[in-house]
Amino acid sequence: MILGLFDQFFTPYFAGIPLLAIAIIAPWLLFPTPSNRVVNDRSLAAQNSFILNFAKQILLPLNVGAHKWALLLTALMINLITLNLLGLLPYTFTPTTQLPLNMGFAIPLWLATVLIGLRNQPTIALGHLLPEGTPAPLVPVLIIIETISLFVRPFALGVRLTANLAAGHLLIQLLSSATLFLLDQMFPVAILTSLVMALLTILELAVAAIQAYVFVLLLSLYLQENT
Amino acid sequence: MNFSVLSSSKQSNMPVSPVKTRIPLTSFGHLITEVKKQLFGIEAPASTELTGLRKYFNSYTLQGRRNYVLATYGVFALTAVAYWMHRQHKKENHASSSTA
Repeated sequence: MILGLFDQFFTPYFAGIPLLAIAIIAPWLLFPTPSNRVVNDRSLAAQNSFILNFAKQILLPLNVGAHKWALLLTALMINLITLNLLGLLPYTFTPTTQLPLNMGFAIPLWLATVLIGLRNQPTIALGHLLPEGTPAPLVPVLIIIETISLFVRPFALGVRLTANLAAGHLLIQLLSSATLFLLDQMFPVAILTSLVMALLTILELAVAAIQAYVFVLLLSLYLQENT
Repeated sequence: MNFSVLSSSKQSNMPVSPVKTRIPLTSFGHLITEVKKQLFGIEAPASTELTGLRKYFNSYTLQGRRNYVLATYGVFALTAVAYWMHRQHKKENHASSSTA
């Protein structure tokens, strides 16, 4: 089946039924469920260790009031990292290359942090919009700039994840097409492109994990500002 | 166990970062402020020196910064309302002059 450059970003269908919901929920089927045993198997122990360490790291700078977000942030991290890594398998659909999905994560969570700040500590939340020690003539300008940066945050969160993953997948598609084409035409160059593609795949593995972490880390920083 | 290696590391001439605490990364303004504070120190005036309008509108105290923000938003809101009312008035004048 010959695929176009952007076919990997189209929602998968089967007999007219969109499979987007399955693509988003399916990663959760891969994780082992907790058991009542005192000593668990390796996969469950590894999962528990990852979740505990990640939750500890992400909650370290947060106040006690923000620790209610532990489950949400950890679940978001696991979801994003799994979606990103599974998308690197051939012929799979990556939901996190879709901007609506990432904006669906970013906007409500960012808005929640802003509303929490305005509700619980409005003076501090409003005070954040003007850096300390600003000279008087620059005050209105800086307030406008900080307000714009506040409202740009959810778009930056969503677009960062989308752009990084989409660009990586496109590069992999282009390089693999080039390698296949050059196999018949110029075999030595095909070896070079396949080597570059191997390196790019390693890079994309790192980008997949890092972008998920950056998304959740930035959310936790916004939460830290507002709690 | 010999801990002399650890104690001798204190006498080495390793460069020490002047940054003492975690720098906030959520905003460029906060980043500049924190770096400036730790490297040069922001000399905030004492509370007795802030008199008159500066007591309520200053960029050193939290309340002062909040009041500055609210005042700026208030000015923008008033300007927007005045502009909108002016446009409504102009529209009404134009409608009444065209029907007359």
